[in-house]
Amino acid sequence: MAIPHALRRHELVEAEATGVWSWLTTVDHKRIGILYGVTAVAFFLIGGIEALIIRLQLVRPHNTLVDAQTFNALFTMHGTTMIFLGIMPLNSAFFNYLIPLMIGARDVAFPRLNALSYWIFLAGGLFLNVSWLVGAPPDGGWFGYANLTTLQFSPGLAIDFWMLTIQVLGASSIMAAINFIVTILNMRAPGMTLMRMPLFVWMSLVTQFLIVLAFPPVTVGLIFLMFDRFFGTHFFDVAAGGDLHLWQHLFWIFGHPEVYILILPAFGIVSEVLPTFSRKPLFGAQIMIYSGILIGFFGFNVWSHHMFAAGMGPVADAAFSIATMIIAIPTGVKIFNWLATMWGGTLRPTVAFHYGAGLVALFTIGGLSGIMHASPPVDLQQTDSYFVVAHLHYVLIGGSLFGLLAGAYYWWPKMTGRLLDERLGRVQFWTMFAGFNIAFFPQHFLGAAGMPRRIYTYAAESGWGFWSAVSTIGAFGIGVSVLLFIVNAVRSLRHGAPAGADPWDGRTLEWRTSSPPPPHDFDEIPPVYGRDSFWREKYGDARGRKPTPLPPAPEPHAVHMPAPSHWPVVIALGIGVAAVGALTSLAVVLLGVAVLVIGAFAFALEHHRDPAHVSQIGGLEIDHRKLAMWMFLGSECFLFGTLIATYMAYKGRSVTGPHPHEILNLPVTTLSTFDLLMSSLLMVLALAAAQRGDRRQTRLWLAGTALFGLIFLGFQAYEFTAFVHEGLTLQTNLFGSTFFVLTGFHGGHVTLGVLWLLTLLVLDLRGRLGQQDAIKVEVAGLYWHFVDVVWILIFTLIYLVP
Amino acid sequence: MSAGPTSASPTGARAGEDTPARTHEPATIGTYLVVAGILTAVTALEFGVIYVRRLAPILLPLLLTLSAGKFALVVMFFMHLRYDSRVLTFLFVAPLVLATLLAIAIMTLTGEFLVFTR
Repeated sequence: MAIPHALRRHELVEAEATGVWSWLTTVDHKRIGILYGVTAVAFFLIGGIEALIIRLQLVRPHNTLVDAQTFNALFTMHGTTMIFLGIMPLNSAFFNYLIPLMIGARDVAFPRLNALSYWIFLAGGLFLNVSWLVGAPPDGGWFGYANLTTLQFSPGLAIDFWMLTIQVLGASSIMAAINFIVTILNMRAPGMTLMRMPLFVWMSLVTQFLIVLAFPPVTVGLIFLMFDRFFGTHFFDVAAGGDLHLWQHLFWIFGHPEVYILILPAFGIVSEVLPTFSRKPLFGAQIMIYSGILIGFFGFNVWSHHMFAAGMGPVADAAFSIATMIIAIPTGVKIFNWLATMWGGTLRPTVAFHYGAGLVALFTIGGLSGIMHASPPVDLQQTDSYFVVAHLHYVLIGGSLFGLLAGAYYWWPKMTGRLLDERLGRVQFWTMFAGFNIAFFPQHFLGAAGMPRRIYTYAAESGWGFWSAVSTIGAFGIGVSVLLFIVNAVRSLRHGAPAGADPWDGRTLEWRTSSPPPPHDFDEIPPVYGRDSFWREKYGDARGRKPTPLPPAPEPHAVHMPAPSHWPVVIALGIGVAAVGALTSLAVVLLGVAVLVIGAFAFALEHHRDPAHVSQIGGLEIDHRKLAMWMFLGSECFLFGTLIATYMAYKGRSVTGPHPHEILNLPVTTLSTFDLLMSSLLMVLALAAAQRGDRRQTRLWLAGTALFGLIFLGFQAYEFTAFVHEGLTLQTNLFGSTFFVLTGFHGGHVTLGVLWLLTLLVLDLRGRLGQQDAIKVEVAGLYWHFVDVVWILIFTLIYLVP
Repeated sequence: MSAGPTSASPTGARAGEDTPARTHEPATIGTYLVVAGILTAVTALEFGVIYVRRLAPILLPLLLTLSAGKFALVVMFFMHLRYDSRVLTFLFVAPLVLATLLAIAIMTLTGEFLVFTR
């Protein structure tokens, strides 16, 4: 392997190290992609076994393989596992492995954060499945509807496992998504404009935005549920004025974009596979990009179509029905463009192509039944029936899984350097195709015949026995197919034919480097000649005119490979321990938090003053960290937006006092608001001083900002104490629940900001915060100002508005 | 914060291509002090107007406008969005607008702000 002259040899040795420790501490995007893939397959197998037990239980009427309680746990764990621990991380495997390669980068923007995302995901997945071992598997459905999931109706640990897991996995997903947004926007090779990016990268980018924006609302819902269960608040307590629709809204505001989080990456994969094996450019590539963006955007406006049966009224039903039907337009554009890509192409029917074409066919069936659900009267007939089960599996297996398998066959040679057996692969495809359709198409009939979903058994007179048995046979066909894939993969790893760098005559940049790629991805940053750059480089444009070779991109710094780090594992361990503690004892929570805090500080300061980390300016002329912080603040808008909206929605609905006008102390809060506003002034003065290298003033203003932050917290402590003395606590009424959670979360943000500022101050006092570190002050300042603007809104909406 | 491989961030090639640069002069200390003065004055005004009975009919839109003004001042000047790349504006303002619409939807569909008949 050629080693670029600028690559430091010790870094190469670190990057190519083997053994368990090297995998525990790896920050290489390719290795993290493999970790995601292997872990997700393991969880996928667990979810698959759960599905097969479900099908066995339903194979005949009055079956007694499992009891009703176990059946509830099985379908809850199956749904949660497949969505959060199967399909999502399988998508992540492809994001991690391929995005840097496809945009011509050497890694992601934040390699250690990338590792942290993986280890937190693993901690969350293990935590969820520990519930089986302790005999308390979640049993409230993957949607966890309150108040079924409140303490009154679901005592015990089962729901706690589920609720904490989703929060942990959400944190992992948001971190990873911000990382990929920064990577895609800021680390593209010269010439790789947005419209030249491969479709897979584009669909991944849309997916990351969906993750960043969709997870905060459900996180808020989960926090409410957690407070109801752990601390006796009343968010979902109808007797206290709570509204159960709130949970459904918060869940589905996340839950529907989640469908696109699962499917858009598969659309991206197929958009790479079909052109390659049709030897044609993707038909209407730009329209495909716009369609993906529109699907993502509309995906945020349709969540309540999951709630037609909940009784929202005709106006809301009509609005969400229309919005849902509109999504069919960009989706249909994609379907027709894939067909047009294949039309007239020189088709090579590889297994990857089979799966790509299979997605087009099967997803269309799932999409059509989706349009049926978009009509409220029709949906009312289908809700909670097996027709919906058939629909969602045509979308998530016929769409997502087929897309992922297309990607697995397509990029396996790139990842391993070896080919999969095409003949065995074809057997595997047809087994999957037949098994899937036998399993799920009959469920349309069952649903139409009135079979409800989530029932653990049924009467012989119902007439559902025959198609249920057929469905079970098909499910085992899927199981056989999955096993065949694993056999194929293992055989390939042991003695598969060598693949070479470009076994499929590919079109995009990842095929330009060796298989598997070296740790630094490319010996030289690849030139970009347009869309399908590598194809143009090999064959020229439509008329066969080859582009004039471009010189390698300038690399002003040495090629710096990120050093391995064990701190991501430590932080994830801390989170896992804290989650276990939440179910056992406060001491364990504190232990987990201590590990987390120590790990976080060590992580943050690990490369402080490392010259290779000082400048992180990317292609947009923006520092990676600044870009990431702004995206994080965008995500925080959703978090606080949801918290504030809940306060407003519940305003005036407390059935007992005290009420806001009886207790809020406006003069004191006006003073604390003034204090926080002035802290923002001091913060910006600290930044100005840091930028001009005035260390004394930097120190002064940083200390001032932190002090003003502490004063604000003092005001808040005074206010909380006074309220408690006057009889208002978290548990008193709906006002107490919403007020303390909203302002408490804001206070938590202020506390974090103060800690951040004090850390910078200590660094400065030790002479370790120079002019080159002004970006660190700037990023901390952005966070601080955001906390300030959130308070501006809270002050108005909670304290001033009558 | 973690750091990526610096050489993987070839700079300059697309600056201006994907992100039209802004030409405003950066803020000065004087600007910050003026903004802080306005924020103080508006906060005092907010506190005062709620006691003026004549303003009761327009109090809600007035308070919301004043609050939005303060929000915008901090974001534009203290957070430098007025002077920074439009990409950053997009990354913040697009979610902000969406979150606002979402909050209104939650309030409308769940709360006492109900305008539809369930």
